[in-house]
Amino acid sequence: MAIETILSALVYPGLVFIVFMSFLYSGFMRKVAARMQHRIGPPLWQPLLDVIKLMGKEDIRPEQSKMGFTFWPFIAMVSIATAGLLTPIAGSVPLGNSDVFVLLYFLIFGTLALYLSGFSSSNPFSVVGAVRGVVQMIGYEFPFVVSLIVSILAAGSVFPIEINNFQVYNGWISLSFPLAALAFFVSLLAKVEIPPFHVPEAHQEIVSGYYTEYTGSRLAMIIMTHMLKLFVLVSIGIVFFFGGSVSLFSFLWKSLAIVFLATLSRVVMARMRIDYVLRFCWIFGFVGLIDLARILL
Amino acid sequence: MAKDNERREKLCYTLPLGPQHPMYVEAENLMVRVDGETITGVEVNIGYMHRGIEELMQRKNYLQGIFLAERICGICSGIHSVTYCEAVENALGIEIPERAKYIRTITLELERLHSHFLFLGVMAYELGLDTGFMYTWRDREHVMDMLETLSGNRVNYGIPTIGGVRRDLPAGEIPGMLKRLEHLRKRAEHYVILFSSDALVRKRTLGKGNLPKGKANSHSIVGPVARASGVNTDIRRDLPYLLYDELEWNVVTRMEGDVQARVMVKAYEIFESISILKQCLNRISRTTPELKTKTSLFVKENEGMSITEAPRGELVYYLVSNGTDRPERMRIRTPTFTNVPSALPIILKGEQLADLPVIVGSVDPCFSCCDRVTIVDERTGESRGVDEAFLRKLGEENGD
Repeated sequence: MAIETILSALVYPGLVFIVFMSFLYSGFMRKVAARMQHRIGPPLWQPLLDVIKLMGKEDIRPEQSKMGFTFWPFIAMVSIATAGLLTPIAGSVPLGNSDVFVLLYFLIFGTLALYLSGFSSSNPFSVVGAVRGVVQMIGYEFPFVVSLIVSILAAGSVFPIEINNFQVYNGWISLSFPLAALAFFVSLLAKVEIPPFHVPEAHQEIVSGYYTEYTGSRLAMIIMTHMLKLFVLVSIGIVFFFGGSVSLFSFLWKSLAIVFLATLSRVVMARMRIDYVLRFCWIFGFVGLIDLARILL
Repeated sequence: MAKDNERREKLCYTLPLGPQHPMYVEAENLMVRVDGETITGVEVNIGYMHRGIEELMQRKNYLQGIFLAERICGICSGIHSVTYCEAVENALGIEIPERAKYIRTITLELERLHSHFLFLGVMAYELGLDTGFMYTWRDREHVMDMLETLSGNRVNYGIPTIGGVRRDLPAGEIPGMLKRLEHLRKRAEHYVILFSSDALVRKRTLGKGNLPKGKANSHSIVGPVARASGVNTDIRRDLPYLLYDELEWNVVTRMEGDVQARVMVKAYEIFESISILKQCLNRISRTTPELKTKTSLFVKENEGMSITEAPRGELVYYLVSNGTDRPERMRIRTPTFTNVPSALPIILKGEQLADLPVIVGSVDPCFSCCDRVTIVDERTGESRGVDEAFLRKLGEENGD
């Protein structure tokens, strides 16, 4: 029993699986985007190679940076990975059953830690990027939470695994509440900073945004955080809206379908300005509220 | 009230953008005064790309000058060498053969095509639309291939020489080039739709970076930037050179004067260039195969001037000859030199900081063209000219 619990937390569907899948999603997204842009694109395992290479690079810490510069990326990565371990993957939760609020807590805390790393590096570009990130958070958390509440009310449970099983037996929640699913998808794009929401790291305006000053293994951690966040949000999407999953196969095709949709957005969209992001996200929040009203009335 | 003012003071600060910034390909500095996110003033400091080319040209003979002129700019290299050759030909008082005129016009219009495609790509990139960047630059490859069939080179063509051109256009290549031009026309139509109808692109370009017609006139803005503000100016029509008075084409103007208008002017100029190219390619077979007028390269005491329309606007070459094989004085004025320092402070004022890359990109600055003989002291903001003694001193200080 004990060995099974440890294996489930560490190997499948635990940490190793999560890290492997987040590399796969990221590589898949880069390859598909490249083919859509008439490029050849990197091989599927390029994200893994990037991270390995960065691990061996020199780690430079600016003199002006504050203490948090050294540990915020690590905290961000760990808390997003924890959020991943609390999400049901193919019908089982790696770390055992817990309710959706703990999951949300780790997700939001991980994102905030990312932006705090920007604030602590004392570079004007990092600070501007972090400010934009926090403002964007104010925008996307509203539709995100509204859409999750719709799903929770529809399934009648706050435990992700029960919502997952509810969908397996009763059909997709996104079919009965399409507006909430739409709000969720928009907030997913905004959360992982996929165009048109790549405002906090707008290359042409603020270099690399909040992670401008990072190099070496800490940059690798930030990149890992991005990839893990994509994985966690796609898993949440499957659990809460897109039919749930009990087999690895259904988990895979659904997640790759969501990543493909996100890639489409990445390829066809230009960047928004931060004030448009707020307005846009809140509009979708209110769109999600329509479904919430439907479920309450 | 006093507290409010104090808080306001704190929000007003000066952001140094450049010399190294991902917004630019080249090094240049903008001191942007911002109040929160709103830009209240801009100071443009040019001079980081100065290479002393005018001075160098005065020490080389006229043939070597062609190579130097070609290397002033990496994008519009053809127009620089053609304008240089025209200035020397003016001083010599010679006329070039008909076929050479055709080949020069074809080179220049192909160059305008690739420069405009490049501009559309850069605009897409500044808007955060990477796909637009990839697509336009892929289509630009067709133009580069055509330039390669014409001259053997992709960037510095080495086509014009004093008295004519160096290479002939192989007649067998003309049908293939016409086919490629037709393909490019279709692609350009696609980009016009992209930039004029995509909701996000419209939102980020419409009404941004306004340059009213009066200001464009009073600040002598040139080229597509002026045409986008409703100033009907084009050197190709106003002071025709090469074949432009014999061909049928239109000057594209827009009244709005915003970023969208500047993009649209360049996008529609692509169609005009393609039309000019088609006319040239269809007519070139009628000319005699003579490529070059024989001439002496010792220019008697005279002066030569040549004004052309580069892809970015009016380009001026002026030279004074003294009877030797070297120019006495050489002066180059590029379109970016007139556009960037005078237009940027006007069009950036009152805009949001997030729109700055898009607005700066819409002027299509080419700093390595622009930096000539004025150097700017970073600490005092003073600018002064560069004389031979200063350059010599600089050379001694820096070794060789």
